[in-house]
Amino acid sequence: MKTILAFRESEYAWVHEKFPCVHPLLLPLCNKPFIEFLIDFAILAGSSAVRILCDGGLGEVERYCEDGSRWGIDLSYASIHPDDSIHAMLGKNRKFCGEERVMIVSGFSFIRYDKRYDYKSFASSMPPGEWSTCPGGRITLTGVPTKAVPDWLIADLSLMPLDSMTSYYQASMETLKTGESRYVLPGYGDEPECAFGRNVVISKSVEIRKPVSIGNNVQLLGNAIIGPSAIIGSNVIIDRESSVESSIVFDNTYIGEHLEIIGRIASGNRLNDPKSGASIAMEDPHLLSGIKKNRHLRSLPRKIVHACVALVMIAAFFIPFIILWPLLKLGGHWKSSPASFLSERTDETMPLAKVEVDASGAAAAIAVALSLDRYFRLFWVVTGQLALIGSTPLLAGESRPDAPAYVPAYLPGVFSYAEAEEWAATGGDATIVERFHLAHSNPLTDIGLVIKAFINRFQEKSTI
Amino acid sequence: MNFTLDNIDGRLVGTARLEGRLDAQNSKPFQKTFLEWLEKTPLLVFDCTLLDFIDTSGLGAIVGCLRKALENKGDLKLAGLNDKVGMVFEITKAKRLFSIFANQADAASSFASELNPGTT
Amino acid sequence: MTITETSKIGIAILSLYGTLDALSAPELRNNRSIIDPEKTVVIDLQQVDFIDSSGIGAIVSASRQKRQPSGGIVLACMNDRVRKVFEITNAQKLFHIFDDTTAAVDFASSRQSASA
Repeated sequence: MKTILAFRESEYAWVHEKFPCVHPLLLPLCNKPFIEFLIDFAILAGSSAVRILCDGGLGEVERYCEDGSRWGIDLSYASIHPDDSIHAMLGKNRKFCGEERVMIVSGFSFIRYDKRYDYKSFASSMPPGEWSTCPGGRITLTGVPTKAVPDWLIADLSLMPLDSMTSYYQASMETLKTGESRYVLPGYGDEPECAFGRNVVISKSVEIRKPVSIGNNVQLLGNAIIGPSAIIGSNVIIDRESSVESSIVFDNTYIGEHLEIIGRIASGNRLNDPKSGASIAMEDPHLLSGIKKNRHLRSLPRKIVHACVALVMIAAFFIPFIILWPLLKLGGHWKSSPASFLSERTDETMPLAKVEVDASGAAAAIAVALSLDRYFRLFWVVTGQLALIGSTPLLAGESRPDAPAYVPAYLPGVFSYAEAEEWAATGGDATIVERFHLAHSNPLTDIGLVIKAFINRFQEKSTI
Repeated sequence: MNFTLDNIDGRLVGTARLEGRLDAQNSKPFQKTFLEWLEKTPLLVFDCTLLDFIDTSGLGAIVGCLRKALENKGDLKLAGLNDKVGMVFEITKAKRLFSIFANQADAASSFASELNPGTT
Repeated sequence: MTITETSKIGIAILSLYGTLDALSAPELRNNRSIIDPEKTVVIDLQQVDFIDSSGIGAIVSASRQKRQPSGGIVLACMNDRVRKVFEITNAQKLFHIFDDTTAAVDFASSRQSASA
C-alpha cells in the first residue's frame, strides 16, 4: 500500500501568519512536527511509500524528513495545483501509485488515531471510497481491497480540521492528554504524561505538574511552575517565578520572570491568545522603551562648568603655550591643517584645526604632554561650541555607522571620555564608553574625568 | 484623556477615559495627571475601551495609581480592557490586584453597591 | 543536450537528455512543436541531469507561447535534481507536473480536446 499526503497553501495560510518561523507542515503538536503524525499513521496503515504533495514550497519539509529512511519508508515529494481534484492528483502520480492500493490523506487536518489498533487490516480491506472526513480534510482509499474484511474489526479514527489557532491549540492539548498511549511522542521520562528532551536543566525549586512535554535544551529557573498541561519546545528558558499552565511555548522562546502564562501560545516574542486570536509582544523590560536622543547632554550647569575649567586651563597653559608655540612653529614641528568636524547638532559641521606635533625634541615633548596641541580648542569651549570632555570629534563627510545621525549621543569635546578611560581612541569599545559617560556623567565627574584624560595623555606622551 | 465626575448615590466617582498607548513615553506625565484626579475623589474608574497598547511601565503606572487610591481610602477599578491589554494584565498577575468590569457603567455603579451592601 | 521527439495521439513528447543550460536552452526554445502555439507538448525531464535558470527560463517562455499557458506545456518525470531547481525558483506552480509520461499525455490530450 502507498499513501499520498496532499496539502494546499490556502489551508494553512493562517499558520504562516501566526507562526511565521515554522513551516506549517512542521508545526509542532506536542513537540512533534505535524507531518510526522501523518507519516506515523501511513506506516500504521501499512504503507511502504509516502508521497507529500503540495501547491506551495516543500523545501523545509524535505530538509527535515529527507528520503524517509528514518522511518524505513520511501518518502518523495511532488507539486500539485491548488484546484487539482483527487482524481487529478492520482493522475499526476500514476507511476508512484502503480497498481497498488492508495490511501490519500488530503487537507490540513489532524488525524486522531490510536497506535494500538490494527489500521493495516482496515486499510487493506475497506472498499474504495472515503474512510473519514471532516470539514476541509478527508482520507480516501482507492484500488481494490487486498483482504477480506475481518469480522472483529474496530479502528478508532477521526479527523479534526486545523483551520485556526483555536483548533491547533485544542489538538495540541488533546495530544498531550491522550499522550503516549495513542501516539508516538518524543521525549524521555520514567512516569507517564511526563516527557523530557535532552539537556533539560531544572532548578530545585521548580514545580512540575503533569501532564507536560518538554523539548531539548530547556532551562527552568527557580520557583517556576510548569503545568498542568504545558508543552514546552526546545531551546526555551522559563525564568524564575513564572508559571506556564495549559499553554504551548514554541522553540527558541524566552519567558521572562514573574509571568503567568495560562491558556496561551508563546512563539518567539509573541504571546497569542488562542481563543480571541489577540497577540501581544513580550518585550524585555530593559529594551522596552526606544532609545531616545538625550537632549540634556548640554545642560546649562554642565556648560558653565566646562567653560570655567577651560578658562582655568587657558590661563594655566598660557605661559608654556606662548613660549613653545612660536618655537615649534618656526622649527616646523607644529603642523596645523584646517578640517571640518561634525558638530553637536545633527547635519552641522564646525571648522577645527587639526594639529600634529612632531614629538622630537624636548620642546615638542613638553607641548604634547601638556596637550598644547589642543590649546586653541579650549576657546571653543568658552564659546560653548565644544565640550571640554565628550566624544572624540568625528571628521565630517565620512559615512560611518557611528555617525551622530545614528547614535543616541554625540557631543564633540576637546578631550574624550575614551582618553580618560584609556581605551584605544578608535573602535567600538571607545564609542560605547563615550556614550556611557555622555549619558551618565555630571559636571563634577566631568572635571575628574578631564583631569584623568589630561594625566593619561601626559603619561603617554612623556614616556615616548 | 478626559476626566468626568459622576454622582453615584451621593458619592463622587471619577472616570478617566484612557486612550491610545500607555508606555514608557507617557507614563510619567500620566501619573502626575492622576494626582490631580485623586484630589477630586479617591473613587476612580479607568475606562480602557480606547486603550490600544500598554507596556510594563504603563502597567507600573496603573498599579502605582491603585496604590495611591488605596492610600486615600478609595479604590481604582478598571473597565473595558481589550484582549491585548487584558493579556498584559493577566500574564503579569496584575489582574488580581484590580476589580475589572466589562464597561464603565458597571464599574462606577459597583462603588454604590459597596456603600450599601444591603442592596446587592 | 539532445531532444528526442515522439508523438502519441496528437501530442508531441519531447524527451530531453543531458544538460539544459544557457548553451542548450535555444535548442529547446526553437523546437518546432514548442513554437507552434496550438500544439500541446509533453516535456519528459527524466534524463535531464542538470538544469539552471536559463533552462527553467526556456521552459517557462515555451509555455508563454502556447494558447493556454498552463496546459500547453505539461512536464513529466521530473527527477529530484530538476525538481529542486523548480522548487527554488517557484516555477513548479506554473506547470502541471506528472510522474509518468502516459498520464501526462492523457492529461494533455484531454486538455487539447476540451479547448478545441
